[in-house]
Amino acid sequence: MSIAQSVLPAAEERPVRRGLFARLLRRPSPVAGLVLLGAILAMAALADVAYPVDPLDMVGTPFLWPGADPDFPLGTDMMGRDIAAGIFHGARVSLLIGGVATLVSLVIGVGVGAIAGFFRGRADHALMHVTELFQTIPPFLFAIVIVAILQPTMTNVVLAIGLTSWPSLARLVRAEVLRLRDGEMVQASIVLGLSDARIILTHVLPNVLAPIVVSASIMVASAILTESSLAFLGLGDPNIVSWGSMVGAGREVLRTDWYVATVPGLAIVAAVLALNLLGDGLNDALDPRQNRR
Amino acid sequence: MTSIVSRFVLLRATVLAAGVASLLGGAAFAETPQNGGTLTAIVQPEPVTLTSAINTAAPTGFISGNVFDGLIDYDLDLNPKPALAERWEVAPDGLSITFFLRKDVTWHDGHPFTAADVKWTLENVWKTIHPRNQATFGRVTQVDTPDDHTVILRLSEPSLAILSSVNSNGAQVLPKHLYEGTDVLNNPYNLKPVGTGAFVFKEWSKGNYLILERNPNYWDKGKPHLDRVVFKVIPDAAARAAALEKGDVQYAVFSPVPLKDAERLGKLPTLKIETRGYEWISPWLFFDLNVDNKYLKDVRVRRAIAHAIDRKAISNIVWYGFAKPAISPVPSTLPAFHDATVPQYEFDVKKAEALLDEAGYKRGPDGVRFALTHDFIPYGDDYKRTGEYLKQALKRVGIEVTIRSQDTAAFTKRVYGDRDFDISSAWFAAFSDPQVGVTRAYWSGWVGKNTPWTNGSGYRNPEVDALIAQAQGQARQEDRIATFKKIQQIVQTDLPSIPLAELKFFSVHAANLKDVVTHGDQIYGSLKDAWFDKAASN
Amino acid sequence: MALVVLGIAVVNFFLLHLAPGDAAQVLAGEAGSATPEYMAALRRQFGLDQPLPVQFVQYLGNLLTFNLGFSFRHGLPVLELIGQRLPATLLLMTASIGFAVLAGSALGVVAARNAGRLADTLISTLALLFYATPVFWIGLVLVVVFSVGLDWLPVGGMTSVEAGYGGWDHVKDVARHLVLPAATLGLFYLAIYTRLMRAAMLEVTTQDFVRTAVAKGLKPRRIALRHVLRNALLPVVTMLGVQVGSILGGAVLVETIFAWPGLGRLAFEALFQRDLNLLLGILLCSSAVVVVVNLAVDLLYTVLDPRIELAR
Repeated sequence: MSIAQSVLPAAEERPVRRGLFARLLRRPSPVAGLVLLGAILAMAALADVAYPVDPLDMVGTPFLWPGADPDFPLGTDMMGRDIAAGIFHGARVSLLIGGVATLVSLVIGVGVGAIAGFFRGRADHALMHVTELFQTIPPFLFAIVIVAILQPTMTNVVLAIGLTSWPSLARLVRAEVLRLRDGEMVQASIVLGLSDARIILTHVLPNVLAPIVVSASIMVASAILTESSLAFLGLGDPNIVSWGSMVGAGREVLRTDWYVATVPGLAIVAAVLALNLLGDGLNDALDPRQNRR
Repeated sequence: MTSIVSRFVLLRATVLAAGVASLLGGAAFAETPQNGGTLTAIVQPEPVTLTSAINTAAPTGFISGNVFDGLIDYDLDLNPKPALAERWEVAPDGLSITFFLRKDVTWHDGHPFTAADVKWTLENVWKTIHPRNQATFGRVTQVDTPDDHTVILRLSEPSLAILSSVNSNGAQVLPKHLYEGTDVLNNPYNLKPVGTGAFVFKEWSKGNYLILERNPNYWDKGKPHLDRVVFKVIPDAAARAAALEKGDVQYAVFSPVPLKDAERLGKLPTLKIETRGYEWISPWLFFDLNVDNKYLKDVRVRRAIAHAIDRKAISNIVWYGFAKPAISPVPSTLPAFHDATVPQYEFDVKKAEALLDEAGYKRGPDGVRFALTHDFIPYGDDYKRTGEYLKQALKRVGIEVTIRSQDTAAFTKRVYGDRDFDISSAWFAAFSDPQVGVTRAYWSGWVGKNTPWTNGSGYRNPEVDALIAQAQGQARQEDRIATFKKIQQIVQTDLPSIPLAELKFFSVHAANLKDVVTHGDQIYGSLKDAWFDKAASN
Repeated sequence: MALVVLGIAVVNFFLLHLAPGDAAQVLAGEAGSATPEYMAALRRQFGLDQPLPVQFVQYLGNLLTFNLGFSFRHGLPVLELIGQRLPATLLLMTASIGFAVLAGSALGVVAARNAGRLADTLISTLALLFYATPVFWIGLVLVVVFSVGLDWLPVGGMTSVEAGYGGWDHVKDVARHLVLPAATLGLFYLAIYTRLMRAAMLEVTTQDFVRTAVAKGLKPRRIALRHVLRNALLPVVTMLGVQVGSILGGAVLVETIFAWPGLGRLAFEALFQRDLNLLLGILLCSSAVVVVVNLAVDLLYTVLDPRIELAR
């Protein structure tokens, strides 16, 4: 559950209007979010150009403080690995983990929500029972169980985060779909004899897109945080560099060489902040009531 | 890389030297102990049960060594000292060992301690349930108790290793009157132990703390000095460092804080870092190479891997100097058995590449010869970093390594059961006799038996098996030593596993806590000598 | 409800048995070495030599009689172990949610009353920063600052056992130990309640009945308290129900850092020790907590807003 979702009004018309981008740019915080996110995306894109070597390579003297050696602007860690290279390559991995995990939970959450809301009755009943089941198991605990049992690889971490973060989205989508289902557009389509799948895909989901997009941006942020928490507990993939794994590795030298964990920690804060600012901005821009202020 | 290493060697050397200097200053046995006070120590992880007779895990030993006594103790040089046995005799033919027990010992519940307790525990626990001792006491055919305070072990063959394994960790005597006729593994007294030791079990709040109190009737008169010992469970290493630094906790063992923090804590006036007390364990770290793997079955590939690894870098960088490059699987801390003349594989990337070429594994167009997996022993970040080092070191010679991470249960099943791995890492305790701790890594009888911490590489050499059997039955120590040296020569030539480092585990204790380490098996021993110097303000 | 519990039992039972290795393996691994005979004895003792379906039927049979089984590793019934740890977790949960709701709501009210001004921006940014910082990071920093540095609060644990406090002193002692873990866990949720309260305040202010009240000439503070706050609390309470599960999960991290003897840590350890009876018991118990809290939330709803009737 996220901040933006929590302030989403439950049931009101929220069509995606033109000029969304313009309205997004009207306020300072979404702009800040966009700029930050842009910078992170640029790092991820340029990682191979800026740091062509494997970020796991031990390239320098261990424990070089940031600024101590111009070759390593952000310093090196306990194994002499370049932290700046880790941040660039880690941006890619962390965004990928956040993105794919969110995609997994979007597919499940939107699917379950749409089907339950559209067909109502028995399907709704059954699916909501499943949702409830997943919702009552503490999600982080469940993610830990999944990762520990399937072994900590990147795929499994993504899977675990995706599998445990969809229920609230499913409920949100279901509520929206239930509302839309009785709307004129859907009723007309049913009369016209369009197939259920087509109605859901062309008439229902596009109208639920706004809250989904807002949720998704926040879910990416949550996924990045969850990945770092898993890494803290030793449940990260040792073959790749993510910001979470860097923080996890650096925490044992936190008292002596705090920058090793702090630099990637700040990267996580920046990414989560950016995605939340953006999510809030989207929410405001998509919510007509906010325009009254 | 070399420049990095040399700089680090210097840095660590000074730090360790400072540590040793402070050690020597602190170890003043002449001081008169003061009585009283509560010691708070960290136990991590929380023990499962409180008697080492059925579970030899480190945390169990750390606590139960205070509640129970062994037949004998070991001093810092691993010489046997009287404990529950006042003295002992080995028959000239080596076929019997007699222990003469103290007469003034009672269990914590008031029952007298007698030879019957020893006989019962040996026959019903050490020989049948104890995870390690079944091999050690395997040659005991009969136990005689001519009187209440004499125990005679009759042996089918001489078995000198017994005498290096009858401390309170290797052979804890259980009270017969509370255990006889019960299901030993499920006996409720495993969780509220009744021993003969310096401290009496008081209370255990699971996941929280455990309290022992002074035994006023302890046979070693005048001891213990402390009124109470409280063991706290603190799962996070950084939190342990903070608790020690703040003085909330005054004693912790088994490298309780991150290695880098140990350097920092050692410099504080209120704390001391102590590396003694682990002599009896003598741990060494190694890589097991699965000899059934299609690449690793070639001894040239195994040697190439050894040449690709800089053991100095592992000790000084990966282990922050809390390790020393290993020469042989029998650590140098067992000077009598250790063979320094075994074949060595110095760090030489060119030689490694040449050996791999010779074995027929040329670099492919992408520079890769072949790919392997590595499973590191899941005991913390130090072992993970060792794996990360291996990955990078082998990458330089064209071997692509994928590290696999898993928990202990999955790891031991994979390596010792399914044998579904290429290279694994582990540390073993050699103990004070290679028969107890080292030979298990090479004896072919263990292969694939799903028994953790045995022969992981899958090495099968009838000659080595025969030598291992031979050493067990030799009555003269010189003969045994010669046999063990022969074994070391062979396994270092065949190289099924690569000894990497002799680990230097350390304890952290408050500077005003005196005589906390007085035994070579201290971490599994008793805190009966420890006392607080109240004059030294902390 | 019963169906959900059964579902959780089934899903977890089979999921957990997918885990490689078993409890005997873990114990043998920890013991340093073990013979096959020792392992076989352990497996017999743990009932692990039975086929899986048999184990499952036995487990379900036990559940029907509210028996969560036996933790062989700890040598105690699962229910007893959970009973020992549950109070600590509930205390931590209540304290951190309480902190998050109270502090968050207060900040939210202040922000709403200063909407668009500097105070608003400051509060929103700060709250978001706490939200964006990994929980374990905040915890470790709080320990370094408030325990080691300033020496105000204990490093971890729940009581000062050595002091042997009783009665009122014991309560104060536990409270001192509770401050840092509760704050660490609470700070993450603080942002959510701050923003929730702020949005709700702003929204309610524009509603007709509040305008009427203003028109009637009621004092602003009275309006805020009586009407606005009461209505704004609804979404806060809703959020509470949604978040219980997430807080229970977050407790794993906080209990690890602060050595808090709660259920989260116990679950984490049970998982790695393959103490599956215990882990299943804890998962069931956490689900029960979530369900109970949500029932309480529904009840609270009717108290806060008489228009809502208990539908279920």
